[in-house]
Amino acid sequence: MLPNLKVENLSCVRSDKAIFDEVSFDVLPGQNIEIIGSNGSGKTTLLRTLLGLITQDKGEIVWLDDAGKYHNYRTFECLYQGHQLGIKNLLTVFENLNITKHAKGMSQEDIYKHLERVGLSNVNEFASNISVGQRKRIAMAKWLLKEFKIYFIDEPFSALDDTATLLIEKLIKELNAKGCSFVITGHRPSGIEATRVEI
Amino acid sequence: MIKKWLIEMGSPPLFYKWSTKILPWLFISAILILGIGLFWGLLFAPTDYKQGDVYRILYIHVPSAILGQSIFMFMAFCGFINVIWRAKISGMMLKSAAPIGVSFTLLALVTGSIWGKPTWGTWWVWDARLTSTLILFFIYAALIGLHSTIDDKTKADRAVSILSIVGLAIIPVIKKSVDWWQTLHQPSTFTITSSPSMSPDMYQPLLLCLIGFYLFFALLLTLNLRNEILERERTKNWVKQLLGGVG
Amino acid sequence: MHSSLFDSLSIILKRDLMIAFRRSSTYITPLIFFLIVVTFFPLALGPQESLLSSLAPGVIWIAALLASLLAVETIFSEDFRDGTLDDFFISLEPSFILVFAKVMIHWLITGLPILVASSIAAIILYLPLDSFIPMLLSLLLGTSFMSLLGALGAALALGKSAILSAIIVLPFSVPTLLMGTSVITSSLNNQDFSGFLMIMGAMLALGIPGLCLLTVEALLLNYE
Repeated sequence: MLPNLKVENLSCVRSDKAIFDEVSFDVLPGQNIEIIGSNGSGKTTLLRTLLGLITQDKGEIVWLDDAGKYHNYRTFECLYQGHQLGIKNLLTVFENLNITKHAKGMSQEDIYKHLERVGLSNVNEFASNISVGQRKRIAMAKWLLKEFKIYFIDEPFSALDDTATLLIEKLIKELNAKGCSFVITGHRPSGIEATRVEI
Repeated sequence: MIKKWLIEMGSPPLFYKWSTKILPWLFISAILILGIGLFWGLLFAPTDYKQGDVYRILYIHVPSAILGQSIFMFMAFCGFINVIWRAKISGMMLKSAAPIGVSFTLLALVTGSIWGKPTWGTWWVWDARLTSTLILFFIYAALIGLHSTIDDKTKADRAVSILSIVGLAIIPVIKKSVDWWQTLHQPSTFTITSSPSMSPDMYQPLLLCLIGFYLFFALLLTLNLRNEILERERTKNWVKQLLGGVG
Repeated sequence: MHSSLFDSLSIILKRDLMIAFRRSSTYITPLIFFLIVVTFFPLALGPQESLLSSLAPGVIWIAALLASLLAVETIFSEDFRDGTLDDFFISLEPSFILVFAKVMIHWLITGLPILVASSIAAIILYLPLDSFIPMLLSLLLGTSFMSLLGALGAALALGKSAILSAIIVLPFSVPTLLMGTSVITSSLNNQDFSGFLMIMGAMLALGIPGLCLLTVEALLLNYE
């Protein structure tokens, strides 16, 4: 099976210190990569580098699909979820999901369905009034808007209760079955099936 | 290819070594030419029939005003290279040139004002050239201010590079608009620096002063840049060796 | 491709305008600030009609410049803090569309209210009625350019003090100030002012691509 994303000897140096050095892995369709590292080890920087927000100092990032090779992630349908979840306080839970590029043309019912799937019922509450855990659930609902080829999720398991953790694991498994891959980060190995990369 | 060349030529240790060689020559030529030019201009050039000896301040005012602008162009050039090819040394050059540029601009303002007192009777006149020099001074201040607020020096260099490119684009517009503004508000008075015809006796020392100022700038820039390199690379081995393991 | 570009643009506009309307201070603050500054001039200088009408172009323009830079740091700061900016950079191509959209929103919530308030300012400063149209035209072009310039300042000073983003771009606003006041002054003196307007238009036309691209570059700096 051909990988969707090949990362070869990726290095990033800032102020003469290697943030990460010679990282290599392949992201195969339907399989996951988990990047493990302690605080400040450059996990977020690595994700941002993969998505082109930062230019790498060495190494190659190659995106592959049936049509060929790319050096740009934008031809790919990817989803990125950073530490900050990209949720607007002055929009309601529903609007936070509805006013996005990927929800275009989607019916209201579909969006309610996605929100229900992640256990959010207070759809007309402003996002400023809900807890951190629930915000994470909004972000999870975004995963369902579309089948993205690769999901880049920064620390999905932090600040979550047990039910939410189980929910994430279930969602990831389901999406894996549809051929979607996850690249996630964390402090220690999580319960999901993944190739671990330590940095 | 250009990037590779820039990175090789602009590697800080190499530049440091190279600058050590040219530094004495730069020092001697700058002092010599600037010294001769200033002596000639301030002591031996003929007295102006209209302004008397006061006009001699021109030998400092004009070169420093020109330098103020040239250094800005130099900075924007460095900034351009820094933004496009991310050559570290060009960012350091930009940073090192800024305080020199702002000093020359300030010198031009102060000498212009001193010159204005006997010629116009006031310390300040909203003359088009003086006004655009004042705005140039503010732009320098903005660049330096921005650099000082960003802690990561490489990032600060790039931020200032971006702003300096905007500066390069907008300075001609500023000069032009200040000219129009002046003609709109006060039909042109005579400008001091473009006296109808300058005799060669007056002109030659000015040229020498100008070259001297440029060399002086090159000297200051090299000295500043060497300090900057040492400061930023202080954790590197070559600096530790150079300083005999003190740092 | 074109439709997706338009979609992205309309999503940003819809979302940000919705948020702006829910937080009314975003568009009321510059408006009130502008009117207060304008009111202070007669209070400080005395209410003589001839004095005020001759000072009106300058007063209106200085107040407009300051008011348009008042909230400039908010253009990107909130999106940067809550992670929306990352989202946009990743899902949007080309990135300068994002900057352009943000500039448009900033103009709609500061430039447009200032434009409306300038008519009130013109009345209380005894600016002759004939000069209203030139004033509005010059403010239209000038405040748009200030929003562009302000966006660059906001991107460069992202996460720093709020006032810094305004201060670093103020020296660059000199041509706008000079041209803007020249337009109104020329119309007061019954002179031709179209030349100044054309130059302001040219600055805007060059500024849109140039400043937007540089702003993208400045924003990306914050991720390193």
